[in-house]
Amino acid sequence: MKTGRWWDVLRMRFRSLAQRQRVETELDKELRYHVERQTEENIAAGMNAREAREAASRMFGGVSQIVAECRDMRQTQYLENLVQDLRYAVRMLSKSPAFAVVIVLTLALSIGANSALFSVVDGVLLKPLPYPQAERIARVFYRSTSYAKFPVNPWDFLDFRARNRSFENFAMYTHADVQLSGSGSDPVKLSAFRISSGYFRVLGVQPARGREFDFSEERPGNGNVVILSDRVWRNQFGAASDILGRKVVLDSQPYTVVGLMPAGVDHPGNSYNSVAYGDTVDAWTPFTFDGNPNNRGSHYVEGIGRLKPGVASEQAAADFNGIMTELASQNEGDKGWTIYMVPLFQEIVGPVHKMLLVLLGAVGLVLLIACVNAANLLLARAAARQKEIAVRAALGAGRGRLVRQMLAESLLIALLGGALGALLAIVGVRVLVSFLPPGFPRTDAIHVHGFVFAVTALVAVATGILFGLVPAVQASQTDPQQGLHEGGRGSSGSGRQTRLRAVLVVGEVALACLLLVGAGVILRSFVNLLRLDPGFQPEHVLTAEIALPNANYKTTDNIASFYQRLLAKLNTLPGVHAVGAGTDLPWTGYDENMGGFTIEGKNPPPHEEFHARYHTASPDYFQAVGIPLVHGRVFNEGDTKDTPRVLVINNVMARRYWPGEDAVGKRITFDDKPKESDWFRVVGVVGDVKDTPESKGAEPAFWWPVLQQPFPFANMTIVLRANSAPLLLTEALRSNVRDLDPSLAVAHVRLLDRIAEEQFSTPRFALFLIGLFAALALLLAAIGIYGVISYSVSQRMHEFGMRVALGASSWNLVKMVMKQGVLLTVIGVAIGLGCALAFAGVLDSLLYGVSARDPLTLIGVGAMAIGTATLASLPSARRATGADPMTSLRAE
Amino acid sequence: MSKPSDLIQGTLDLLILKTIALEPMHGWAIAKRIQQLSKEVLQVTQGALYPALHRLEQQGWVRGAWGESESGREAKFYTLTKAGRSQLDKELEQWRRLSSAVVLVINAPQEV
Repeated sequence: MKTGRWWDVLRMRFRSLAQRQRVETELDKELRYHVERQTEENIAAGMNAREAREAASRMFGGVSQIVAECRDMRQTQYLENLVQDLRYAVRMLSKSPAFAVVIVLTLALSIGANSALFSVVDGVLLKPLPYPQAERIARVFYRSTSYAKFPVNPWDFLDFRARNRSFENFAMYTHADVQLSGSGSDPVKLSAFRISSGYFRVLGVQPARGREFDFSEERPGNGNVVILSDRVWRNQFGAASDILGRKVVLDSQPYTVVGLMPAGVDHPGNSYNSVAYGDTVDAWTPFTFDGNPNNRGSHYVEGIGRLKPGVASEQAAADFNGIMTELASQNEGDKGWTIYMVPLFQEIVGPVHKMLLVLLGAVGLVLLIACVNAANLLLARAAARQKEIAVRAALGAGRGRLVRQMLAESLLIALLGGALGALLAIVGVRVLVSFLPPGFPRTDAIHVHGFVFAVTALVAVATGILFGLVPAVQASQTDPQQGLHEGGRGSSGSGRQTRLRAVLVVGEVALACLLLVGAGVILRSFVNLLRLDPGFQPEHVLTAEIALPNANYKTTDNIASFYQRLLAKLNTLPGVHAVGAGTDLPWTGYDENMGGFTIEGKNPPPHEEFHARYHTASPDYFQAVGIPLVHGRVFNEGDTKDTPRVLVINNVMARRYWPGEDAVGKRITFDDKPKESDWFRVVGVVGDVKDTPESKGAEPAFWWPVLQQPFPFANMTIVLRANSAPLLLTEALRSNVRDLDPSLAVAHVRLLDRIAEEQFSTPRFALFLIGLFAALALLLAAIGIYGVISYSVSQRMHEFGMRVALGASSWNLVKMVMKQGVLLTVIGVAIGLGCALAFAGVLDSLLYGVSARDPLTLIGVGAMAIGTATLASLPSARRATGADPMTSLRAE
Repeated sequence: MSKPSDLIQGTLDLLILKTIALEPMHGWAIAKRIQQLSKEVLQVTQGALYPALHRLEQQGWVRGAWGESESGREAKFYTLTKAGRSQLDKELEQWRRLSSAVVLVINAPQEV
């Protein structure tokens, strides 16, 4: 019954709108019938035909009034009025196209920029991760006084998995690339992870075929099984249907394929030997727990868990910390750690969260300025149209109707701007995504789609109302009498309106200053980063990774001798300046960290231990990377496994552990009960390289000679410093490796300067956008100032003429006009800089080596704004000097 | 009581709904019927009647359809819809409550 009624109602509304003509005709016919019946009755009562008809019509009252009332009853009046208003608005706008184009374009630009950036925010920050109930997935790290985020120890992991009560599944994973050979072509390096059983259950994804690893496969000797990715299955195995159960050769060892993951399983990202969220992972093998369960000192696996329903990550963290305390009482190596638990989503987007919000805020400010600008221009027009509005009011247009009329215009402008802005957004998002720094999370989730367009439309409508309401209400308050009077005289708008416009311009300038300060300090921060001494020389350096399979390179001797032979061959290549091998490259994320070594004659502070990043390097590694020797010597050919053990350390380590002493000649050891041969003597101190250019400072670090590596470092990076054109050495590198061992893959061939450059891409991205927004804001503010001053000058031409007649010079007039523009700007600048100081805290964490309250930037922005205002006032000032005294006098 | 404004707001709707509850009627007949039944006390002007009919139609209480009138010409006949019938019940109930309340008040003994 209810639906029946609503159907009727809908049908009627539709009829009233779409078949208006027919409805009107029918109403007319209905009313005519009524009059005829009344007439007949009157005749029956004894009147003659003419009298009867007149009486009937009289009784009926005004037909047109009834028709109007019936029309009101149809409740579609407002729509019809809207159509009328819009038609009128189109007419008015097409009369002043320049005005319309300026407003529509500025709005389109800012709405487009907002939508584009909102698409990025939506994709990166708002969309859930592509795992079922992703909000229940949390990452688990260790934390100590020295380290905010540290990997987990595998034996600790087993205890956590057995004892915790918070996770449905708790798993771990660690990056360990493998080399696939024998699948036909050359050996290929696969991006691979060693995972515990339950890893995929944590992520909530099932293998497309086969199964996940079970607990038995974590036992030493049972681990030669592998789960392949869809990509590897297609590219390397031709999507063979009999893949399950097949034997494949990984690192020269036979593995049985037990599972195949579906396409699109996103890697959750890891921080140790990091592979970014969503990057390709080709294969997973079980993590096997070999070795001594009491070794709790080495940390290299990453914890991830799926929380039980209803358990918050804080509760889980408390649970884990309880277990950590138990472990610390049992194992010396577990002392000093607490648990740092973070939801996976936060872990992935955390690094860009703040920056995106700041950018969104900035682009929002631009839209606000565009709104103020539009309101300003509309106000100017409303002032110019005062006469027209007064006439309409005098003819009986109600206040509401006038406001609606003006709003229709601003809505039309906003919708045009919005439509154009949506188009811009489609292009803009592509541009934005192409500009996103490498390693930016979730870029493939960024799309312009219905939701974004809905938001754009909403923004456009809200914008239209926002910038239209003030002028509309202002205009509707026009007193018809005064309006007609003033309009007739062609004199200035009311004082209130002028004041309002001045306030709007001040607001525009203030907002623009706020953005300019933001752009300014980000620019300074960026320059600081670029000027920074990286600690190495990235130019003309080729790097490549080689992984020696454990099966063929079992001992440290095997490994060391391979690299020794390779480096010797590469050293003879023409064009090579220096060649080295090392376990790390600058600015590629830290990998290894050693805690708990002993320094001869020193004790660590209570609850702390000596720690440092550890690596191995060949003698020429430092020269190849360009890390300067500060003191002592680097390794040489004499440092072999038969000579006393030596170390090279960095400056920070020397200063931290041997303050005021000469570190060279000092000894450290990694054994609890060292023999004389277990001591490593520091032979040289090299310069510092920070983990990333934005790191506060470098961490302590040391290097073992490749020939003295205490445990096998099978994966090394070859560093070739060329005299010029390093990429030309790529083929020679490959062929030399092939000559030594044809089963080896040369992977990740990169230029060191490209690696270094990538580190600046995030700040460059932020700078590019905020600079763009600030420039736009400044332009809008200039338009605003120009508009206000030029209007004021045109209103005062008469007065200027009089002044000239009374002896004012052109210079006097110019000064008067300029003073007005500059005064408004100065007020705006003061407010804007005040706000910038108040909100400085927002930016601080994004800056390097400069404060968000940087006085130089503040002064520069102020000067820039005043300079712009001066320029924007100049044309009007020039016009003022053209005031003709004769015209003014004649008008009097 | 010839001016529609003298009718309590909403009463005209009730009268119209009640009148066409028995059979479909056109506007003129509705006005006549109300006049007759009220012994010429209630005179519904056309200026009030047609807007009211339109509103009721827009709200889905009544439905208009063209048919041949008793005088042999085309007229618009209004029928009560299902929703209109329950609306009529609601309004009748409301009217009874209101009028009895008014009666209670005006019949209350005057204290001197």
